[in-house]
Amino acid sequence: MTPPAPAPAAARAGELEKKQVVAANRAIILVGNPNVGKSALFGALTGKYVTVSNYPGTTVEVTRGSATIEGRPWHVMDTPGTNNLIPMSEDEQVTRDILFTERGYAAVQVCDAKNLRRGLLLATQLAEAEIPFTLALNMADEAASRGFHIDVERLSRELGIDVVPTVAVQRQGLAALQQRIAAGGRASTFRPRYDEAIEAALAEITPLMPRGGFGPRALAVMALVGDESLRPQLAAHVSEADLARIDAIRRGVAARYPESLRFVVARQRLAAADRLHDAVVTRGGATAASGLGRKLGAWSTHPLWGIPILAAVLYAAYEFVGVLGAGTLVDFLEHTVFAKYLVPWITAGVRFLAPDGPIENFLVGSPGADYLKQDGILIGKYGVVSMGLSYGIAIVLPIVTTFFIAFSVLEDSGYLPRLAVMLNKVFKRMGLNGKAVLPMVLGLGCDTMATMTARIMETRKERVIVTLLLALGVPCSAQMAVIFAMTSKLPMAATVWFGATVLLVLFLVGWLAAKVLPGRGSDFMLELPPLRVPQAGNIAVKTLARIEWYLREALPLFIVGTLILYLLDRFGGLALLERAAAPIVVGLLDLPREAAAAFILGFLRRDYAAAGLFLHYQPFMEAGGLTRSMQIEIVVALVTITLFIPCIANFFMILKERGWKTGVAIMAFIVPFAVGVGAVVNQLMRWLY
Amino acid sequence: MAALVEKIETCPLCGTRFDAMGQGCRPSCPMAKGCRVVCCPSCSYSFPQEAGLAGGLRRLIDRLKRDKDGRNDSP
Repeated sequence: MTPPAPAPAAARAGELEKKQVVAANRAIILVGNPNVGKSALFGALTGKYVTVSNYPGTTVEVTRGSATIEGRPWHVMDTPGTNNLIPMSEDEQVTRDILFTERGYAAVQVCDAKNLRRGLLLATQLAEAEIPFTLALNMADEAASRGFHIDVERLSRELGIDVVPTVAVQRQGLAALQQRIAAGGRASTFRPRYDEAIEAALAEITPLMPRGGFGPRALAVMALVGDESLRPQLAAHVSEADLARIDAIRRGVAARYPESLRFVVARQRLAAADRLHDAVVTRGGATAASGLGRKLGAWSTHPLWGIPILAAVLYAAYEFVGVLGAGTLVDFLEHTVFAKYLVPWITAGVRFLAPDGPIENFLVGSPGADYLKQDGILIGKYGVVSMGLSYGIAIVLPIVTTFFIAFSVLEDSGYLPRLAVMLNKVFKRMGLNGKAVLPMVLGLGCDTMATMTARIMETRKERVIVTLLLALGVPCSAQMAVIFAMTSKLPMAATVWFGATVLLVLFLVGWLAAKVLPGRGSDFMLELPPLRVPQAGNIAVKTLARIEWYLREALPLFIVGTLILYLLDRFGGLALLERAAAPIVVGLLDLPREAAAAFILGFLRRDYAAAGLFLHYQPFMEAGGLTRSMQIEIVVALVTITLFIPCIANFFMILKERGWKTGVAIMAFIVPFAVGVGAVVNQLMRWLY
Repeated sequence: MAALVEKIETCPLCGTRFDAMGQGCRPSCPMAKGCRVVCCPSCSYSFPQEAGLAGGLRRLIDRLKRDKDGRNDSP
C-alpha cells in the first residue's frame, strides 16, 4: 500500500478494523504509479477490512482486503507504487514480483488522468508483459477541470483493453469498473516497438524465455537490459548455455549505444507512450503539447541542438541575475536605500533620542566620522544595520530574488528535467547520472536543502559523491549573489579563471571520487513533462515563497554573524584570529590580513565571507582601480571560499544524511583542499595571468 | 516559524500530488524548529510551501482567474 503520508504498519493498524481477509478464488491486483489514488480505490473496493503485512523478505508493505463484486467474493491486493516493471527500487521489485508470481488475477492499473503520459508508460509495460488488466483513469474530474479531454474509446481501442474513468474518492465510476473486473480483464494487444537492433535481439532471446508469469517478450526485454533482479528466475529455468548466449547478445547490442540498454529501451518505450498519449489527449481544442513545444522539447535534449539552447538559457540567466540583480539592483539598494536614507535616518534618530552619551556611542558610534569606520552596534563597521542588514538585504537579497525568479521560470517551463538529460553524459564521467543535476541546480538555491535531495540518487556511492560535490563547489544563491557582484567588476579573463577553476575542480574531484569510492553507479529514467510557457502567476508565487524562506532562515544568520564580528572586534578577538590565520591567509594565499576574519566567519555562512570580501574591494571596483594583484586576490579568495564547506547548517545536514564518519571525512578533505587549490591558483595566476 | 499548512501539494518537478502533512523535510531551516519546506515523496525534490504571503498571493491569483473564467462563461 502506498498511503500519501507513510506511517508504520503498527501505527496504522490501530486505525483500521482488522478482520481476516476472506479466501477467494478470484483476485484483483491494483497496480499504478505512486500517488495516483490506488489506496483510495482500494478503500472504495474493499471497505475498511484490510490486513497490512510486509512482503516476504522485504520491509515493503502490501495491503490486502476483500471485496464483493456482483455477489462473489474477491481477494484484493494493493501493490506499492511503481513506474517500472524493470525495478529500480525495492518497492518496484515487490510490485514486479507480485505480478510475476501471482496467478489467475485480474489487474487494475490505476492512473492519474491528469498525468496520463506517466500512466501510459506503465500501461505499455503491462501490455508487453501480457498481463490482463483494466485501466482506471482516476481523478478524471480534476483532469476535466484542467481542460484535459481523453478519448476513452480510442484509448481502449488502441490498447485493446477496457478503460474506465473514475473518481475513487467519490466512488464515481466504481460500478463500471467492478463490472469490467467481473467480466475478466483482457491482455492488451499493444506492443511498443523498438529499433531494429533491439527488435532483432528480442527475436533471438524471446524463444529462450520460460513460459509462465510474464509474456516471453517482456522477459526478453528484461533479460536484454540486464535486469539483475530477474537473474534467479532465469537461472532456474534457462540453461547455462542459453544464459551465456543471452549475455553475448546483450553485450553485442549494448556496444551499439553510448547509453545503457536500460536507458535506450526506456526512451524508446516512452516515445511509444508519447505517441499514444498525443493520439488520445486534447487540451483546450489543441493537442496536449503543441507541435512547436514538442519540437523545442526534443531539441532541448538533443546532443547537438541542446547545447546552444543550454548556452542561451545560461546567458539569459546571467544577464538577469548577474547584470540586473547583482549590478543595477544591488547598486540601488546599497548606495541609495541604505547609504543615503536608512543609515542616516537611523543615525539621526538615535542621536536625537540619546545625544552625546554612552548609549549613542554604543548604538551608532561617535559623531563626525564615516559610518563604516564607526564602532556602533547598529551603525558602524560591524553594525547590525550597516553590515548585517546591508549584507542580507542590499547585497544578497536582490540577487537571490532574481535567481529565484530565474529558477522558477526553469521549473515552471519544464526545462529542469531536460537539463538532467542533457548533462547525463557529463555526470556519467563523475560516477553519477543526469539525475544528479537536480540536487546540483537546487544547490544553487541552497546547498543544505540540496544535500537532502541527494536521496534521489539510487546508490550510496552516488549519494556520497553528490554530497561531496555540493559541499565542495556548488555556490548557494546567497554566495552566488556576491560572486556575481564581484566578477561583474572583474575583467573577463579573471572571471574565466574563477569559473574554470571551480568547474575543473568539481569535475576532477567527481571523476576521482568515482574511481576511488567503492560501490556502483546507476542509470536513470526521468519523465519529461511537456515544455510549456511559464505562467507569470506561478512564478510570482513560487518566488515569493522562496523569498519568505530566505528572509526567515538566512537573514537571522547574517545578524548573528555580525554580532559575533562586533563582539570579536570589540574585545580584540578579531585581531587575534587574524594573526592566527595570517600564515595561511597572508602567507599562503597572498590575501590581505582582513580576509582572515571573513574566512573564519565563512564557516557560519560561506556567503557571509564572500560579502565581507566584496565590501573590502568595493571602493577599488567602483573607482575602476583594481590592480592586477587585487584581481588575483579576488579570484583566489572566491575560489577558496567557493570550495569551502557552505555553512554550518550544511555541515550538520551532511552528518545527518551521510553519517558522522562520512561527514567528518568530507570536512577533513574539503578544508585543506580548498586552501590548497587557492594557493595553487594564486601561484598559477601570478605566473600566467 | 509556522509549521506546515495542511494542503495537497503538487511537486513542481515530477507532478506528484501529495499530502503536505508528514512530508516536511526541513533541511534548509537551521534557525527554526519547523518550517514550510516540503519534500516530494516520489522524487525527494524540496520546495517551500506556498503559505503566508505567497499563499495569499496564490489565493488572490486563483480568485481573479475564477472571476475571469466566470465572466467568460456567462452568456
